[in-house]
Amino acid sequence: MREDIPPGTLDMLILRTLARNPDQLHGFGIAEAIAGNSGGVFIVEEGSLYPALQRMLLQGWIVGDWGRTADNRRARYYRVTPSGRRQMDRAVRSYGRVTRAIAKVLNLSPLEA
Amino acid sequence: MSGILWRRLRLFLTRDRSTEDLEQEMRLHRELRAEVLSRSGRSPDDAEREAARRFGHTVRIAEQSRDAWGWGNADAFWQDARYAARRLRQRPGFAGAVVGILALGIGATTAMFSAVDAAFLRPLPFPRATELLTLQRVNIPSALRLERPELVVRSFDIDHVREMPDVFSHVAAYAAGGLNLADPERPRRVRAGVVSAEFFATLGVSAAHGRTIGAADAGAEAPRVVVLSWGLWQNDFAATDVIGTTIPLNSARYEVVGVMPRGFSFPQESDLWIPMSIPATWATFEPFRGYLPSLVIARTAPDVSQAVAETRMREAWQRVVSNMPREPGQELNADRSLTEIREKGATESLRAQLVGDRRTALLVLFATTALLLLIACANVTNLLLSHGASRSRELAVRTVLGATRGRVLRQLLAESVMLSVCGAAVGIAVAPVVLGALRTLMPEQLAGVAPVQLDLRVLAFATTLAVVTGILFGLWPAFGATRGSAVAAIKAGGGHGASAGGTRRAQRVLVGGEIAMAGVLLVGAGLMLKSFERLVSTETGMEPDQVATLELSFVRGMSQPARIDRLAAILDEVRRVPGVTAAGAVNDLPLRGGGGIGISVKVDGAPRSAVRLFPRYLVASEGYFEALGIERRRGRYFTDVDGTGTDRVAIISEAMASAYWPDQDPVGRTFIFGGEDPPVRVIGVVADVRESGLERDPGPQMYFPARANIDINMAIVARGAAGGGTLLGALTRAVRRVDPAQAVYNVRMMDDVIGASMASRRANTMLIALFGLLALVIAGLGVYAVTANAVAQRSREFGIRAALGATRGALLRHVGGEMAVVVVSGVLLGAALAWAVSRVMAGMIFGVTVHDTTTFVAAPLVLVLAVALATLVPARRAMRVEPVTVMKSE
Repeated sequence: MREDIPPGTLDMLILRTLARNPDQLHGFGIAEAIAGNSGGVFIVEEGSLYPALQRMLLQGWIVGDWGRTADNRRARYYRVTPSGRRQMDRAVRSYGRVTRAIAKVLNLSPLEA
Repeated sequence: MSGILWRRLRLFLTRDRSTEDLEQEMRLHRELRAEVLSRSGRSPDDAEREAARRFGHTVRIAEQSRDAWGWGNADAFWQDARYAARRLRQRPGFAGAVVGILALGIGATTAMFSAVDAAFLRPLPFPRATELLTLQRVNIPSALRLERPELVVRSFDIDHVREMPDVFSHVAAYAAGGLNLADPERPRRVRAGVVSAEFFATLGVSAAHGRTIGAADAGAEAPRVVVLSWGLWQNDFAATDVIGTTIPLNSARYEVVGVMPRGFSFPQESDLWIPMSIPATWATFEPFRGYLPSLVIARTAPDVSQAVAETRMREAWQRVVSNMPREPGQELNADRSLTEIREKGATESLRAQLVGDRRTALLVLFATTALLLLIACANVTNLLLSHGASRSRELAVRTVLGATRGRVLRQLLAESVMLSVCGAAVGIAVAPVVLGALRTLMPEQLAGVAPVQLDLRVLAFATTLAVVTGILFGLWPAFGATRGSAVAAIKAGGGHGASAGGTRRAQRVLVGGEIAMAGVLLVGAGLMLKSFERLVSTETGMEPDQVATLELSFVRGMSQPARIDRLAAILDEVRRVPGVTAAGAVNDLPLRGGGGIGISVKVDGAPRSAVRLFPRYLVASEGYFEALGIERRRGRYFTDVDGTGTDRVAIISEAMASAYWPDQDPVGRTFIFGGEDPPVRVIGVVADVRESGLERDPGPQMYFPARANIDINMAIVARGAAGGGTLLGALTRAVRRVDPAQAVYNVRMMDDVIGASMASRRANTMLIALFGLLALVIAGLGVYAVTANAVAQRSREFGIRAALGATRGALLRHVGGEMAVVVVSGVLLGAALAWAVSRVMAGMIFGVTVHDTTTFVAAPLVLVLAVALATLVPARRAMRVEPVTVMKSE
């Protein structure tokens, strides 16, 4: 079952993915990683991936360096900056609060959620 | 935050590379996706297609990604601008017409704005200028009067103002006059500000070099000092060290004590300033013609508003006037002043005083140009509507190719703003032409304080105006063009919009509005032109053709008898000039501007109404009336004997005769003048001469013989058969033959004196008439364009009608009839509007009423004729439509 990525959480997912694999992922790699790690539930719309990356570059949360892929094609590899890490922590904490609150309203235990 | 700005700027500067990077990144993504898909068993082609599909609209994603950079707007703007420029270059005719129309509107409005800015908006160049007030009817006591105690003057004096330091922190008097700078090589006239000691302190201005005039300079016996303007110092003294040197003014020597900073020349573009002593002495009066046109200026104390100052001044006036000594029942001049103060106020802001009665003219002209600009906008909107209709297919294609409606709107607005900016650029280039005429119209008193100029403020105004008008006239057509279904527009094929009917309706409304506004302007122009015509044909009381004049000032220290002899010698010399048939002299040349002096006289048995009159005091030589062509009504002119004996005689004007001796012959009667004996005997009556303006009815005038007593300043008048230039040259040379050192000024033909007195009205009339004409032309073009467009768009319909048997006459009536409704309603609306607003022109017109019937009939008629012509020309084309051609073309 595929689901849309909840609004506002894409930045957080990208940051988390990049934090785990610094300097290893290009755009396509990020999309694949998110799809893989979510067990195929989230397909990152490429249409939202690149605008999000440009936005985060501008914010200074990530930086990108041009490198070569295994088969020697030019690609831009991203990593999280310290300010990006702080932003990620903030987003994860706030997301946690939101999900717990939603769980309470739905009367589910956090585990069930 | 600054990090973001920095990165954004860097992105902007490297935007081409960044764009390429992004595209490369996205291409790689697509390729990798295709490979993944092909590994999962799809054919390569299929995989690529699927990758592309999943990737979505590449261009759009790239655009959205770039939007994140935040300079999407700036970037898109450049793109829009480039595209707009390209499109406009493709259709130079259309672009040229729009730019031309806008240049007229924006240029005229910008030029008028520079005048309005100078007169009303730009702060006066004095510190805290809003604290400066002029005080009405405050008298400067005269030492000459004090010497003659029999003339009891009861007035509200500047000393009364000085007693109110809690209201006014400073008070000063000033007057603008002229002096001869007796340079041996180039004797000439300079503009002199005669100012009391507190003048510069009141304005809050100090000298650039040396000092200004101080209290010690204002005493009657103080050494003569002068302060130079920056301009005079630069041009005439080569910016050398002049402080401490002396310069000859009216043949007295004045010590230069200071130079004022650049740009300071108040009042009235003064070249230099000399002290005004209070009470005023002869020296104070020297730059004037026997009359001190003084104004009193004051700076309010801190936290005192003009309203408070006004109240306190009225109280002071009331107190001073009621305490004046008077015989029971006696009415004083001060009572009249008090009444006037009650009606018009005791104080006026300096700005209002300087702008004076030109206020209405300036505002009406500004409104006129604004109206012209509106007409221009309506017209351009119309052109864009016609144009937008033929573009709807192009726009639809762009929409289908992925442009959002907002983007297309922005594109269209970029085009219209580009048009208006071009229009503004051309308009600013032609604005100086209008400015030339405007300078004549500006209040003279403002010239040294707030000159009309094309400065950054005006440029900023023009730019704002251009952008606002661009959006104003572009928005409607842009919305219209982007409305409606793209598919329908593409299917419609012929290049004509789906909503052609709606467009035509909108165009007719716009044209109606244009015609109405043009009607208002034409009525205004008609009223001004008729006023001017009335003014030019006004009976002036003289025959100014072929009359040369010049003015001169006798040197200081010349005794009265010596002056009289010198004048007689000059007149003899002038009369010897070949071709001169008559020559004379007068103290005040009619219509030369500047004040005159009125003095009350006493006539036994005169009607009560005449008691309060102040006949104008004039001194004339023999030959003056003949030279200027002032007709004799009764008695005789002066001879060279009048005034030489003890017999006191005068010639009076018709108005004076009928005021003091109604229904009687005044020749041989006497009046008491200036409280002196013996009485003055009237020897002749002459025609009334308009002296203080063609628009003002002449008041009573009395002429005293120049052989008895003359002023320092006199004007010479000579009538001759020779042409203007020859006569003027001969006149100047004749004066110089008598005294080579004699400075002469204002050497001009009497026609030019009269012309100069009408200069501001001529400029005003010319501008309003010009704007009216432009409005007519633009509205005519609008009608033409709309009719032509309607005819072109409906050529198929006309072809069918013709094929079905409609005659050409019927087609013409059909097209003409549609426009007739628009024209008639526009003209009627315009006439009604003009009727409603024309009263604002009441102060600007002369000899006609604001609801002048002729004008209100003629102006709409002209408008109807013009637009009828503009309708018929394109409508005739409708009749010539060949049915077969049209059908085939589809």
